[in-house]
Amino acid sequence: MNRKWIAMTLAGAMIASMAPAFTAYADDTRTVAMICDSSISDGGWGMACYNAMIDAAERCGWETMYSDSIAQSAYYDTIVSYCDLDVDMIYAPGNQYTDAVLQAAEEYPDIAFALLNGNEATPEKAANGNVSSLLPDATQIGWIAGALAGLMTESGTIAFIGGMELDTTLAKYDGYGKAAAYVAEANGKSVTLLDPVYSGDFSASDKGIEFAKAMIDQGADVFFGDASAVDSGARQAIDEANEANGAIKIYDIAQPTDLLGQNPCVIGSQVTDNAGLIELSMKAVEEGTFGGETLFGTLQNGVLSAGEVNTEIVPEDVQTAYAGYIEEMKAGTFMQ
Amino acid sequence: MGTFLANLILAGVRMASPLIFLSLAELYSQRAGLVNIGIEGIAAIGSLTGFLVSLITGSPLLGVLAGAAAGILVNMIFAYATVTLCAEQIVYGMAINIFAPALAAFIYRVYFGSGSELVQAGLMGTFKNMLGIKSNHFLVNLFLDQTPMVYLAFILVIVTAVYFTRTKSGLNYKAVGEYPKAAATLGINVIGIKYLSCVICGALAGIGGAYLTTCYSRTYVDGNIAGRGFIALAAVIFGRWNPGGVLIACLFFGFCDALQIRLQLINNTLPYQFFQMIPYVATIVVLAIIGAKKAGPKSSGQPYRKEER
Repeated sequence: MNRKWIAMTLAGAMIASMAPAFTAYADDTRTVAMICDSSISDGGWGMACYNAMIDAAERCGWETMYSDSIAQSAYYDTIVSYCDLDVDMIYAPGNQYTDAVLQAAEEYPDIAFALLNGNEATPEKAANGNVSSLLPDATQIGWIAGALAGLMTESGTIAFIGGMELDTTLAKYDGYGKAAAYVAEANGKSVTLLDPVYSGDFSASDKGIEFAKAMIDQGADVFFGDASAVDSGARQAIDEANEANGAIKIYDIAQPTDLLGQNPCVIGSQVTDNAGLIELSMKAVEEGTFGGETLFGTLQNGVLSAGEVNTEIVPEDVQTAYAGYIEEMKAGTFMQ
Repeated sequence: MGTFLANLILAGVRMASPLIFLSLAELYSQRAGLVNIGIEGIAAIGSLTGFLVSLITGSPLLGVLAGAAAGILVNMIFAYATVTLCAEQIVYGMAINIFAPALAAFIYRVYFGSGSELVQAGLMGTFKNMLGIKSNHFLVNLFLDQTPMVYLAFILVIVTAVYFTRTKSGLNYKAVGEYPKAAATLGINVIGIKYLSCVICGALAGIGGAYLTTCYSRTYVDGNIAGRGFIALAAVIFGRWNPGGVLIACLFFGFCDALQIRLQLINNTLPYQFFQMIPYVATIVVLAIIGAKKAGPKSSGQPYRKEER
């Protein structure tokens, strides 16, 4: 008898605890739900994308929900779970969610799907026209980091760590290498970019540590990454190497938010204002015009920018030269 | 010794250390007849507890102890279900693998809220740093640039080997995993030893998880155990249920993982996924060769019912 009462009490408590979740959708407030395979507190990509959603939602008066650290096998199921809750928009920050988003978008034609870093061709593939790509220019992202790397490298070897081999990651790697080589040559140096390495997921900070140690062994002295918590691990290894050497001689360039001060090795950041792109998507949902398009983010329209430079490490002449290269990128004359 | 090989060995030892704790946890469990596939989950809760306590107190050592305590606590669920209630061990192990990481994620969110700031805790120092040694010689790095936990892992392997082969208590322990009814007729407290195995298993798995956040990485990320609990299962089979064999297995897996990372750097012709397969393909190959002959405890995985004939 006691067991029955305990079971009924527990079941009642569970139902009661879910009540606020149902009442939240009773009013007219719109809701956006974010899925993410990395943690929102990873100090990198997941954190920046989550904060962007929060900022945009605050400006537009939307409610937010999120699921982070989800496995690749759970992308679709998680999206569908939110669709069943009748959210207004699914926000998927990454190219890797494309297949899951397209499948869910076909089954839920009334829900908007905003795919950050989605391909330009992806919205056309959506059967119901309810998918939009938010596409920061990955090549320009690579340029912003590459120019600083080319100016700061002393060993002439720079490194890049990726999470997965995505189109956007490859474009960042390509832009990073080309910009570093161009800037270094203009300053009488030569640069070798090590082959890209991939952790296979975005949570393995221990892999970031090992990748960075291996790349430091190969002479790399400037790092850039596209791997979320893996990048945090890399920064830890770089800090440890600098501590062992008694001076900060190995640097990291962070992305996609300004992470200056998070680790001593961070000399600058490439910043992407994802909030602006999400806000545009939310407004399109409100106006009933969402879907079927790609919203680009570039240096020219202000979505991309260079974050603050670490003035204690980066010499003044390098800061000036770097600012000049950023202006060239904005003007479209960089590497011309 | 070439720099590549030297650094590969150092990385292999780093990556093998948490595996040694987890594999010893599984070994103690299986030697008492309990197949605990929930090591992954126990390590997850140990990892979070270690991180939180280390962050709050500023002492990674306290973090490790708290990780052990949390591991014991979670493994008592497995102990009660499988030893007292004689429930299916695999099912409860799997339940812990689902429940414990989710509990860890929940506690993290409750403690830190929905904030997205990266939280970093201090790490345990190495002997090289403590002694102020500046040399970067391979042997100095191999033997001294390690946290006390690495030495503990290797000492535990020796202690376990001596315990299981040279002490009466250890032989009694193994007897419970081989023929529990025969052991009971000799006056051995079978239930007590099975519970003791769960305490040791929970503590070691918790320490293995806590190692990751107190000695290896400054941050806690959901999923940071990354399958190590399952590799520990394979390591016990690979090691033929012997501490020495388990140590070799862990070093082998650590070496393979370190190798795939370095091979990605020196080879740009093959897809990176090929290199990431190396530790797992090696596991399958080795288990296919070594695991063919059953050498584990005879009553492993079977419930012990006192009154059953």
